[in-house]
Amino acid sequence: MLDAAPADIILGGDNREVPDSIRNGYAVETRNLTKRFGHFTALDNLDLKIEAHAVHGLLGPNGAGKTTAIKLLCGLLKPTAGEAYILGKKVPDRSLLPQIGYMPQETALYLDLTVHHNLSLYGELYGLTRKRIAEREKDLLRFIALEKWRDSLVANLSGGMKHRVSLACSMIHEPKLLFLDEPTVGVDPELRASFWEYFNGLQKAGVTIVLTTHYMDEAQHCDKIGLIRRGRLIADGTPGDIVKRTNTTNLEDAFLALAGHQAEA
Amino acid sequence: MSIRRTLSITRRIFRGLRHDWRALFMMFLTPIIGVTVFGVAFSGDVSHVQVVVVNQDEGYQIPPATVAVSLADAIIANCDADVLRFAYVATEEEGLDRVKSGKAYGLIIFPSNFTSEVYAKGLDPTLPINPKIRVALDKSNVTVANTITKAVSEAMLKASESMGIESPLVIDADNAVYAEGASFRDFFLPGNIGFIMFMLTFILTLLAFVSERTSGSLQRLHVTPLTDSELVMGYALAFSIIAVIQTAIVLVTITVIFNTMMAGNVWLAFVVIAVLSIMSLSLGILCSSLARAEAQAIQFLPLVAMPCFLLSGIFWPIEAIPVYLRPLSYAVPPTYAVNATRSVMLRGWGLEHVWVELVAMVAFTVAFLVLSVWSLHRDRG
Repeated sequence: MLDAAPADIILGGDNREVPDSIRNGYAVETRNLTKRFGHFTALDNLDLKIEAHAVHGLLGPNGAGKTTAIKLLCGLLKPTAGEAYILGKKVPDRSLLPQIGYMPQETALYLDLTVHHNLSLYGELYGLTRKRIAEREKDLLRFIALEKWRDSLVANLSGGMKHRVSLACSMIHEPKLLFLDEPTVGVDPELRASFWEYFNGLQKAGVTIVLTTHYMDEAQHCDKIGLIRRGRLIADGTPGDIVKRTNTTNLEDAFLALAGHQAEA
Repeated sequence: MSIRRTLSITRRIFRGLRHDWRALFMMFLTPIIGVTVFGVAFSGDVSHVQVVVVNQDEGYQIPPATVAVSLADAIIANCDADVLRFAYVATEEEGLDRVKSGKAYGLIIFPSNFTSEVYAKGLDPTLPINPKIRVALDKSNVTVANTITKAVSEAMLKASESMGIESPLVIDADNAVYAEGASFRDFFLPGNIGFIMFMLTFILTLLAFVSERTSGSLQRLHVTPLTDSELVMGYALAFSIIAVIQTAIVLVTITVIFNTMMAGNVWLAFVVIAVLSIMSLSLGILCSSLARAEAQAIQFLPLVAMPCFLLSGIFWPIEAIPVYLRPLSYAVPPTYAVNATRSVMLRGWGLEHVWVELVAMVAFTVAFLVLSVWSLHRDRG
């Protein structure tokens, strides 16, 4: 089914012999990446290539395997089969850790600490100087529009606010590669727009962003998207390209068309 | 291992506590309450036991005295008034009724020719008489019954001595090798500190670390340069500081409020208990790192607490455990602390004796911490 898919822009040359994916401009490359939990196959032979300096969206319904894919890329899960390369190195590799940022789906903050102390903890863990932490904190708080909440306990923030703090924590050390699991869930439309503006700004500064979402309309902001369904990559390319390929008018219809296609196969 | 990252974790725990006054309050008040409750309840020795006496002893005129004296009266006078409270009745039936109705724990009967027979037997042990104090006890409470027997025997020895009656056999147990004048509380509290500190620090860490996993922050930490050993050491350090403060509070409480015997060096006692606490928190981290959720972690509590409670000799001496179970005592960590604190506080032993226990506890600590790191490491993937 994958082979039958129309021309694929990203899957250009066959570089299987060369693990040094960064040479080919890929920040992330996976080969037959598979994860099974018991009898359940969460991710099935995922071949993913993500260009450096791009915003790459992983789209799909709940339970499609997006989060599993992100966790495998971050080294939080061990693949059942296949491998993943990040910035030219095979995962897991401790030397990658300072270069990547990870925002998990759950809040994963210390509720008993203030916003400031959450941010500075992660700054310290990445070895940032106190001065640098202060600078980064200032920038990030402005970005997430929580400057006034710096000294509030995270426990006292709303769900959306916590989500924004969590996003800031994953970026405190200016990673080259950001993995964001559902970064815009529970964020109001106005702020969501500013998020995308910010992501595109980071991208221009040379950051690669891999994010998951199940909002099809959001995917328009991505340079490239990968559609994941039942643990399989059913299509990838630019949003426009995928729409064109499937003879539909929007990504939602495109996804439904591709899903029908997968079900037949 | 990076000291800076380790300290970041330690600092974050204290920063969190700063916003949790309730936890902080509990952390430092619970040890005091724990020791006080045990200290007051086990004020130690049994006292104010109601005993009924039927004294039929007619006394005897022991030469060269000119008046008759009663050995029975002397025995009663020599009984510790705080331990036994006497009530007098005329007949045995009346006395037995008191015991049967639960108004007294024991009935002591001195026969009419008691003094004369004891005197005669003292002069000529071959005489075919056998002077007896008859004691009828309510043995439903073994400890109380034993206390009555012991008090009467001791009083008897003192009384015969004061009256110049030769007793054929005397055990002189007044020369204590160690812990002269120790009360039951003096024996009990050193072990009790071990138990309280063990439970406190164990529970505290058990719950603190498991929330790192349930909140998802553990996964986030796994993606930072922080290593598993830095994480474990950061936790161990933070809770060690807390444990050392708790240890100091407990020691001050038992010495100031209960005036517990401190035959040895108080600083050595402090070190022993502090090392025990650090060992307990390491076990807490280990159990916590094995658990997936708070509910699971709580299940470790009886699993760990029960054997320690029963086998470490805190309440009952190890000598009271069946012989085949005794080796197990040395597999439960608090045993070493209980032995060492008693040795220091009651026997006055120094480092030259208790180093064995200290080394054992440090070995347990290292093993627990290494296993914690291993258990966290195994989780990845």
